[in-house]
Amino acid sequence: MAVSIALHHRSASIVNQCLLGMGGILLLACLGWLQGEIDRRQDRTVVQIEGLAQLPQGEYLKPAVLGYHHLGADLLWLRLVQVIGKKGNSADEYEWMYHALDVITTLDPQYAYAYYAGGVTLGDLANRPDLSIRLLEKGVKANPEVWNIPFLLGYNYYFLLGDPAKGAEYIMKAASLPDGPVYLPGLATRLAAEAGSPGTALAFLEARLRETQDSEMREVLANRMKEVIIERDLFILERAVEAYRTQRRTLPATLTDLVTAGAISSLPQEPFGGDYRLDPKTGSVSSSTHPERLRTFFKRPQPTYSFPKVQPSYSFPRTWE
Amino acid sequence: MKILSIALNTFRENLRDKLLYNLLVFALLMIGSSVLLSRLTLGEFHRLILDLGLGSINFFGVLIAIFVGIGLVSKEIEKKTIYTIVSKPVARYQFLLGKYLGLTITLFVNTVVMALGLLVVLYAQAVPIEGMLFKALALIFVEFMVITAVALLFSTFTSATLSAIFTLAMYVVGHLTADLQTFGAKMDDLSRGILNGIYYLLPNLERFNLKGHVVHHLEVSGSDLMLIIAYGATYTAFLLFTASLIFHRRDFR
Repeated sequence: MAVSIALHHRSASIVNQCLLGMGGILLLACLGWLQGEIDRRQDRTVVQIEGLAQLPQGEYLKPAVLGYHHLGADLLWLRLVQVIGKKGNSADEYEWMYHALDVITTLDPQYAYAYYAGGVTLGDLANRPDLSIRLLEKGVKANPEVWNIPFLLGYNYYFLLGDPAKGAEYIMKAASLPDGPVYLPGLATRLAAEAGSPGTALAFLEARLRETQDSEMREVLANRMKEVIIERDLFILERAVEAYRTQRRTLPATLTDLVTAGAISSLPQEPFGGDYRLDPKTGSVSSSTHPERLRTFFKRPQPTYSFPKVQPSYSFPRTWE
Repeated sequence: MKILSIALNTFRENLRDKLLYNLLVFALLMIGSSVLLSRLTLGEFHRLILDLGLGSINFFGVLIAIFVGIGLVSKEIEKKTIYTIVSKPVARYQFLLGKYLGLTITLFVNTVVMALGLLVVLYAQAVPIEGMLFKALALIFVEFMVITAVALLFSTFTSATLSAIFTLAMYVVGHLTADLQTFGAKMDDLSRGILNGIYYLLPNLERFNLKGHVVHHLEVSGSDLMLIIAYGATYTAFLLFTASLIFHRRDFR
């Protein structure tokens, strides 16, 4: 009798435990289903991007994170990176990304990588050079020693805004910083030459030449200077040809005609030892050693490029100190 | 000598505290998780490991300092064990200093364990380890010492819950004091004077925050570092002195 009661008692407790276990599993399953159902109803990336738009201004967020602002910048960056990867963001979404980048770089003004990667995204992917430039200029102010931020600014001005003069100015700034790659001075001079100011390019190269001790680098710079001198001479000669034509209503037969006519005082010497040649049909002048003109080439053909695709909702001041 | 024996006893007592281990395990998990998170990020994954590692050490250390610190005195009073100590030839300030020193030892051991965890992660991920990291860790430890002293001060005259709230509030305010000066600069002379007074009275915990210097390879001169440590030590001494004064007059009932 006593044994049967004990057995009965034991089996009852086993049944109880089984029921409890099943109840627990059922609750867990319900949780999983609910979670999945809610996720299915909302596009996760949309939620994440909208979350970026709702970020408070960096100035207010920074004190609120109690000295953990570098970590805060990291975590926001982590979230931003997840949505940047999404294919084709809308115009609004890029504005929110700019806002998030602004917050990140306010939390950690020295986060140089965020400026650069953000600048590339906003400039090239979003086609918003205005936002890209605004972010990068904030970066230049906070990190005057980092070369790739002014470098990207120069790139944006040259390729996206078609302003080689401004581009050359920033690339020169980048080239003057330590750690900049060796090709920067050359690039800057190409830009300046194209901007119609070979004088600027020459001055920059002279300054670089004075500071460079390395013989190989000096040779490169000296060569580049000669190329720019050709560019300057061609500019002078073509202007003289133009003056000759307006005066005599005919093109000069040779370049020496320009001197006899008094359009220029003397023929410039070709720095590589060659000579300058005049095409009597078109009036264009070229060098015998360097028939190609010194210029950089645009990444995309300019006419097919429409800027801006998205009209900014605010005006962007195009003044620089 | 009496202080040291109380300190060692406190240290042993702390080691039996489950809260300590929970927080320590969480800190180590956070440091370890930085490896996973750094896979998701773009660009400088070194900085995520360093930021998350130092952030975790700092945050969990502060939690340990606050939640173990508030129990130092109030637990003794609650359990009435304080009677057996104050009836012995031990001055009250000696008891207090011993308690403080005990928790400082606990925190030091904890910081070393967490720092070792971070160093292992850094080494495994081939992140270069610089001297600045150790300077930042040293200042994080100084911050713990100040926070512990704040917790101890509050626990000499209020209950454990209230001390926890007050100390947390001090931690928050301590990181915002620089703003007091900014606000003061925009006000009239009297308000500026008052705000400046508050600014000098409250601990400026941002001074101990060199976490960003590690990531951005910025240097801090030796004299600056010594001044900051001296500031922390002086502030701790001031807090302990005040706590001793209050505790001296305290009536245990």
